[in-house]
Amino acid sequence: MIEIKNKKGGWILWSTSLFFILLIIGCSQAPEAPVLDRYQFEKPSHFPEPTYTFRNNQVHEKGFKLGRRLFNDPTLSRDGSVSCSSCHLQSHAFADTWLHPMSIGVDGREGKRNAPPLLNLAFHKEFFWDGGVTHLDFTPILAFENEVEMDIEFPEVVARIQRHPEYPRLFKEAFDVDEVTGPFVLHALSQFMLLMVSADSKYDRYIKGDSKALTSLELDGLKLFRQHCESCHQEPLFTDLSYRNNGAQRTITDFGREIVTERMQDRGKFKVPSLRNIEVTSPYMHNARFETLRQVLDHYTDGVTEQVTIDPKVFANGKPVIVLSSDEKEKIIAFLKTLTDPGFLSNPIFFNTND
Amino acid sequence: MPCKNQLSKMKKFKSLQYIISALLLSVSLWSCQESENPDLNETGEMIVKFDNYVGNRPLVLDPTGSTNYRYTLPNGQEFNITRFGYYISHIKLEGPNGEVFVDPMLASAAEIKGYYRVDQSDPSTFEIRLKDIPAGQYNKISFNLGVKEDGIVEGAVAGILDRAAGGWFWNWNSGFIHYMFEGHSPASERVQGELRNRIRLHLGGWKNISPTDGTPQRFFDNNVTISLPFDATVRVNKTMRPSPHIHMDALQVIGQANFAIDNNIHTPLEGRPFAQRLSDAFVVDHTHQ
Ligand code: HEC
Ligand code: HEC
Repeated sequence: MIEIKNKKGGWILWSTSLFFILLIIGCSQAPEAPVLDRYQFEKPSHFPEPTYTFRNNQVHEKGFKLGRRLFNDPTLSRDGSVSCSSCHLQSHAFADTWLHPMSIGVDGREGKRNAPPLLNLAFHKEFFWDGGVTHLDFTPILAFENEVEMDIEFPEVVARIQRHPEYPRLFKEAFDVDEVTGPFVLHALSQFMLLMVSADSKYDRYIKGDSKALTSLELDGLKLFRQHCESCHQEPLFTDLSYRNNGAQRTITDFGREIVTERMQDRGKFKVPSLRNIEVTSPYMHNARFETLRQVLDHYTDGVTEQVTIDPKVFANGKPVIVLSSDEKEKIIAFLKTLTDPGFLSNPIFFNTND
Repeated sequence: MPCKNQLSKMKKFKSLQYIISALLLSVSLWSCQESENPDLNETGEMIVKFDNYVGNRPLVLDPTGSTNYRYTLPNGQEFNITRFGYYISHIKLEGPNGEVFVDPMLASAAEIKGYYRVDQSDPSTFEIRLKDIPAGQYNKISFNLGVKEDGIVEGAVAGILDRAAGGWFWNWNSGFIHYMFEGHSPASERVQGELRNRIRLHLGGWKNISPTDGTPQRFFDNNVTISLPFDATVRVNKTMRPSPHIHMDALQVIGQANFAIDNNIHTPLEGRPFAQRLSDAFVVDHTHQ
C-alpha cells in the first residue's frame, strides 16, 4: 500500500478511475431534464462571486417564503403600522416611491435619508448609505430598531413572532427549530432579499451577446457612460462599492461615511449606488435632492462645487470634471433606461401572498 | 518513526488523495497508537472564576436611576454602576511542559461555542467551565476580551451573540460591545431619556483599516488579548478540577477619565483609550487546586 502512495503515477490511476466510477454512478442517477428551482440563488454568469455567506444560509423555498411574509408584516413595527414593504416597493425596485423622498416610519416620522432600491445585495460587502452594517443578515435589525423606521427593539420583534399563531410552525418547517430565535428571523429575511437579483435588463442581454438588444442611441449612451461614469458606477453592478462625495449636499450636514469610520477624510461620502432600475427609483441621491435623471446629469456638469472631500473625478481645478452636451446627456439617459429589468420589477415570487 | 514519516508526507497530497491515503494508512497508524501512553487521552475540567472590583471593593450594581454613589474616582468624582459586563472568547491554557488547551470556537445560527459573557446582573455567568482539557499541568491562561471578526463575519448567530437574546450589538456600526459600563455620576450632566447624570462607556470595534496613502486610520480593533500567569502551577486530570480566580478592576479601565466629559463612549475611536487599559485590569488573584 505504501508503495502505491509514494508513486505519483499510481495515484493518478487511482483517482481517475474513482472519478470515472463516481461519474458513471452520478450519470445513471441524474434526472432526465434539470429541474429549475425558482427559489435557489443563482449567480448571473456575468456577475462577480457573491459575498454573502451562503455556507450558513442556503436559500430555499420555505425560508424565502417565510422571509417574504415577515418583510410584508406590519405587526412587526411598534404600532403595527409599518412593514419593510412600506418603504421598499417591488414596482420601484424595492426603493421608496417619489411620494416619500425621505422615508416615513411609525407615527409618520420622517427619516433623514432616501430608501435605496434593494437589489443584487448578495454582491455587496456593506449596507446602508454609510456602509455601517457589514452583513446583510444585520440590516433588518437597524430597520426594526430605528425610531424613524419601525421603532421596535429586535427582541420584541422575535417575541411577537414566537407568540404568533402560525410563525413558529413555519420556522420549524423552514429551519427545523423548535423556538424562533433572532438568527433564524434574520436568515429568513436575508433569503428573501438574496433572491432580489436584477440581471436581465436590455443591457444584460447586450453584454451576454445579443448585439441587437441596444439601439444605436443607447450604445452611444453606453460609450459615454463608460467614459464619464464607469469609474464609480462600475459594471456589472453599476457600483464599485466605494464611498465618495459627488457633491449631492450643497453644504455637508449629513457626515455619511465619517459617522462609521470616524475620520474627516470620509466626511459627506456615501456608498456609490447601483444604477440598475434607476428609471423607477426617483428621487435620487441619499438626500433625494433630484427628481429626474436630467437634473442628476446637470448636477454633474454644472452643479458640483468645491467641498472638502469632493471627489476629484467630479470636481478638479476649480470646475466640474464631467463635460457633456445636452445631446450627450440624453444619450446617457437613454442608456440608463436600458438598465430597467421588467422581469425583476414584476417577478411574482416577490408578491405579497402567503402561499 | 515510520509512522511519523507517513504523516508528514500525507500533507502533500490533496483532498481526494488525502482521504484515500487516510483510509489506507489507518491500519498502520493504528499500530502507532498501541505504543501510546493511555494517559494521553485523559481529560479534565477547569472553572475560571471572574470577580469584578472597583478598586479594592467588590463591584455591586445599583438600580438604573439610583443616586446612591458607592464609588469614587481618583479625581474625587462619585459614581455608581447600573450595568456591567464583558465578552470573553478564544480561551487558551498553557503549561510548563508544553501542555496546550485551545477552547473550541463556533459561530452559527443554531449554536455558538467558545464565546462567554460575564454579566454582572447574572451570577451564573461569573464562572466559565472549560471541558475536555488534556490532563497535565497548567500555569497560564490567555483569552480575548471582546468578540473578534470570527463572531461577526458569519452573519446572524445564536446565544449571547444574538441581538434578540440580549446580545450587546451595535446596529448602526455592526459589531459587539466588548466591555459595557453604565451608571450615574453627579459629575456628568449627560441626560439619556428620563435618566440623568448618565455615564455610558460602550467599548467596541473589531477591525483596523490603515490606509496606505498615509491618511488617518479607519476603524479600530479594540479586541484585547489578555495573558495571565497563574500564581501557581495547577494540575488537571480526571479527579482534579482547579479553579483560577481572576480579578477585574473597573477603576483600571476608567483610568484618568473625567466623568464630566468622558461619559458617553459609543464608537471604536472613542473607546480606544479605555480598551488600551483593559489588559491592566485583569490579574489572576489566586488559584484553587
Ligand atoms: C420607514 C421606511 C423603511 C422601512 C420600514 C424599512 N426600511 Fe430599509 N431602508 C430605509 C432607508 C431610508 C434606508 C437607507 C438608510 C440609510 O442608509 O441610512 C434603508 C436601507 C435598507 C437596506 C440597505 C440597502 C443597501 O443598499 O445598502 C436594507 C437591506 C434594508 N433597508 C432592508 C429593510 C428591511 C429588511 C426592512 C424591514 C425589516 C426595512 N428595510 C424597513 C427605509 C426603510
Ligand atoms: C466620483 C464617483 C462618481 C462618478 C464619476 C459618477 N457618480 Fe453618480 N453617484 C456617485 C455617488 C457617490 C452617488 C451617491 C451620492 C449621494 O447620494 O450622496 C451617485 C449617485 C448617482 C445617481 C443617483 C442614484 C440613486 O439611486 O439615488 C445617479 C442617477 C448617478 N449617480 C448617475 C451618474 C452618471 C450618469 C454619471 C456619469 C455622468 C455618474 N453618476 C458619475 C458617484 C459618482
